[in-house]
Amino acid sequence: MASVTLTDVRKSYGATAVIHGVDVDIADGEFVVLVGPSGCGKSTLLRMVAGLETITDGEIAIGDRVVNDLEPKDRDIAMVFQNYALYPHMTVATNMGFSLEHRGTSKAQIAERVKWAADILGLEALLDRYPRQLSGGQRQRVAMGRAIVRNPQVFLFDEPLSNLDAKLRVVMRGEIKGLHQRLRTTTIYVTHDQVEAMTMADKIVVLNAGRVEQVGAPLDLYDRPANQFVAGFIGSPAMNFIGGRITPGGFVAAGVTLPLPAGLPAGERSAVYGARPEAFALAPDGLPATVTLVEPMGPETQVTLMLGEHQIIAVFRERVKARPGDTLHIRPDLEAIHLFDAETGARLN
Amino acid sequence: MKTELAPRTKVLVYGLMCVLLIPFVFPTWWMVTSSVKPISQIFAFPPDIIPRSFDFTTYGRVFELQPFAQQYWNSAYIAALVTIGTMLFSSMAGYAFARIRFPGANLLFMVVLLGLLIPSEVTIVPLFQMFLSWGMINTHWPLVLVPIFGAPSVFATFVMRQFFIALPVELEEAARVDGLGRFKIFWTIALPLARPALAAVAIFTFLHSWNLYLEPIVFLSSPDRFTLPQALTQFTDAYGGALWNVQLAAASMTALPVLIVFIIAQKQFVEGLAHTGLKG
Repeated sequence: MASVTLTDVRKSYGATAVIHGVDVDIADGEFVVLVGPSGCGKSTLLRMVAGLETITDGEIAIGDRVVNDLEPKDRDIAMVFQNYALYPHMTVATNMGFSLEHRGTSKAQIAERVKWAADILGLEALLDRYPRQLSGGQRQRVAMGRAIVRNPQVFLFDEPLSNLDAKLRVVMRGEIKGLHQRLRTTTIYVTHDQVEAMTMADKIVVLNAGRVEQVGAPLDLYDRPANQFVAGFIGSPAMNFIGGRITPGGFVAAGVTLPLPAGLPAGERSAVYGARPEAFALAPDGLPATVTLVEPMGPETQVTLMLGEHQIIAVFRERVKARPGDTLHIRPDLEAIHLFDAETGARLN
Repeated sequence: MKTELAPRTKVLVYGLMCVLLIPFVFPTWWMVTSSVKPISQIFAFPPDIIPRSFDFTTYGRVFELQPFAQQYWNSAYIAALVTIGTMLFSSMAGYAFARIRFPGANLLFMVVLLGLLIPSEVTIVPLFQMFLSWGMINTHWPLVLVPIFGAPSVFATFVMRQFFIALPVELEEAARVDGLGRFKIFWTIALPLARPALAAVAIFTFLHSWNLYLEPIVFLSSPDRFTLPQALTQFTDAYGGALWNVQLAAASMTALPVLIVFIIAQKQFVEGLAHTGLKG
């Protein structure tokens, strides 16, 4: 196990810069998720740590070693690919022991390590099968097995669950997290799914267009997003944004005036009012909003409303018996209101 | 969804297929049956589809008139060497063109492909002069070297390149992380997975070498060094007239290995070309 440090890491393809100076510190044994929309550079960054992409500028260190110019095999990392990348012409056991075989490990040791990994991942009965004879989940497990047999310093996961169906994804998410808790190996995990990021990470790095938007613990990012991009990206359903002006009388938006939290700098200014769906509560003295859609989820009810001229989504713990066209009275929780600069998107409160 | 054909349509389709089969099957049938007929019966009209008598002594005479066993061996080992050589070089070249980025790669590939457009008749004279200067005339070297580095190999390189392009790059990246260098990735990952394409390359290279005619008649002059297609023209009587039944017996024996190879490997051949996006 080892820490991973990225210092001002940059990547360009010709004149096109895709990573614009990324700084991230990953502690020994930490589970870090790189998350962001498609094309934000998260996979490129992971591949640079793996050594599968060259680094245009900056420095990547694993433990005390700067690995910029080292081949992937010399970085002591193991990687799980999105499409698993299992060798189709080799059995599960050969796939898992392949890297050890090429590092001159004795056959007895390889067999022992493969058995150890197979025990952990429940693959004992599948060792003689070929990848084509396995289900998606089993292939995913073999890919993980291939990574753990080597006992590397760092695990790299590149969107490993995106080829699985929703149910299996939840199961495998738990297995990967469980594996990390058992082995405590430093892990960098790439995903575009913010639910995966929230549920698995010790620390999330939110990337956008090749830049780090925010680094922090999942709930820190959820509760105190540094800017409008992070606020909108983290959380499902996404945070509601209402554009308007901060005035002494409240937040004035089209067709509605919303209450503001205390402690804001004096003066009027354009801003974006951010409220998560669960930040609204039903209150008889609240703001009137017209129901457009009701989605009962079981434990909660998701309601789409028109607040003034703005469409918002609110999630209520109670069962709401409203119908489209009805009026509900809602009140935002001022403790959970986020205000962002209308131009830069930076947090104001 | 697969729909079952009506019985009448089925009969019609199969009947039509049988008719279409005649032009393909008849020459082989005629070759094999004529090899056991007396010469007078071969050109009788109307022709005998099934021979009235069987004379297998023609097969013995093939070996008396020519060093046929030696010529058979010549063809076999030359075809084997050419096949192995072409598989090796075309797979390496195809892999390089598919996976290794180097300046001018596409241009170079185009130049290589241009080799397919030059007929062998155009290059045969300069090749003869080259091999003459190397002292290789009346040896088997030209028959091995020309196909390995000539047009058949270019086509094989194209087939292999198309296959390797379609191979997921993550497999190779996984191998890099697992500690393999470029050549080992090629040898232990890419090449074993290219078996269908290699089988296709092997079959058409073997057939091409086995059937090679122009090059042997230019480069070889001693009957004991002849290959089979060249030897087939040598079964004549004292006046230069063709000994048709003996010649057709030799032709039947020449066609036999080709037929066997194709029957055994036809599935892989079709799969191999399908993988490359080409049709057989």
